[in-house]
Amino acid sequence: MELLDFYADWCGPCQMMKPVVEEFEKTHPDLKVTRVNIDDEEELAEKYGVSGIPCLVFLKDGEEVAREVGVVPAKKLEKIYEKI
Amino acid sequence: MKKYDVVIVGAGIAGMTAAIYAVRAGKSVLVLEETMQGGQIINTINIENWPGDMGVTGAELSQKIYQQMLELGVEMEYEKVLELNKSAEFNSEIDARDGVRACYNVKTDETEYLASAVIIATGTEPRKLSDEMMADVGKRPVSYCATCDGALYKNKTVVVVGHGNSAKHEVKYLEGICAKVYNIHHDEPIPEDAEAVFVAIGRVPNTEFLSGVVDLDDAGYVVSDESCHTSALGVFVAGDCRTKGLRQLVTAASDGSIAATEAVKYLS
Repeated sequence: MELLDFYADWCGPCQMMKPVVEEFEKTHPDLKVTRVNIDDEEELAEKYGVSGIPCLVFLKDGEEVAREVGVVPAKKLEKIYEKI
Repeated sequence: MKKYDVVIVGAGIAGMTAAIYAVRAGKSVLVLEETMQGGQIINTINIENWPGDMGVTGAELSQKIYQQMLELGVEMEYEKVLELNKSAEFNSEIDARDGVRACYNVKTDETEYLASAVIIATGTEPRKLSDEMMADVGKRPVSYCATCDGALYKNKTVVVVGHGNSAKHEVKYLEGICAKVYNIHHDEPIPEDAEAVFVAIGRVPNTEFLSGVVDLDDAGYVVSDESCHTSALGVFVAGDCRTKGLRQLVTAASDGSIAATEAVKYLS
């Protein structure tokens, strides 16, 4: 399982999500978390059709299985993860 | 069911300040927040009107206040409050305590809590486009924050809906990024070539769950004044969701301190 975390340095809500995602990564060693700076990796953001940030995309075998746009507490992230 | 002296709904600047004051007064305090501490201010990059911390970001300020609140012993849960009701104990507590203390049942999307006093600090959210407008928007992305999402539309064509001060601000910001920026009223058709829709047609208070519990004005704001009391015994209000003249960080914090102090007075 993989998690793409689309963010930008100038995005306040992304700053709020940073510790949440970091903690989530720690508690889920099986999850590969990749932080994607949309300013540096415009093509990747476009490939995944990112239209607002913060944007978390869960991938299973390379296929998107869930997506969350905007700030989300750890508890909700956990619920999404349990479902997929 | 867990019981607290004070349950605060909303962890924006008003709610977190109220929590700090209430816990410092020796009360047990629970803050309930649906999404993320900080509230509306987390979208702001550069704050220049918060005394003592020139240029602080909304995210930094929010995290500082959040940490301070936890260090002082406030409890926090990420749950959405669905209902606020007088509890079964409401009347008996009034009898037992000479008619001064109410008791509320706070129902969330996960569980229920009992609160001797409640502080409403739910803030406001952007007014959404009408269903008709949304049909016109179709599958195009909709954003309520140009500074958050504008950079995703570099050299593209976008539209800003709304003509107030904040809409003008959004237009100006997007003009520095996008190839073309339309600006329309909320009853005009969305231009066909716009790839994204930015909406700035005002804000509405998050008070739907309070209808029938406390008095709301026509726009849905909790009717109150500088005392931060509401029409319901034991329910107080702080921040942008109450009727007031100036909605700013400092007035939110000010409300938080007053609402908590009034709640503490009420409980003693």
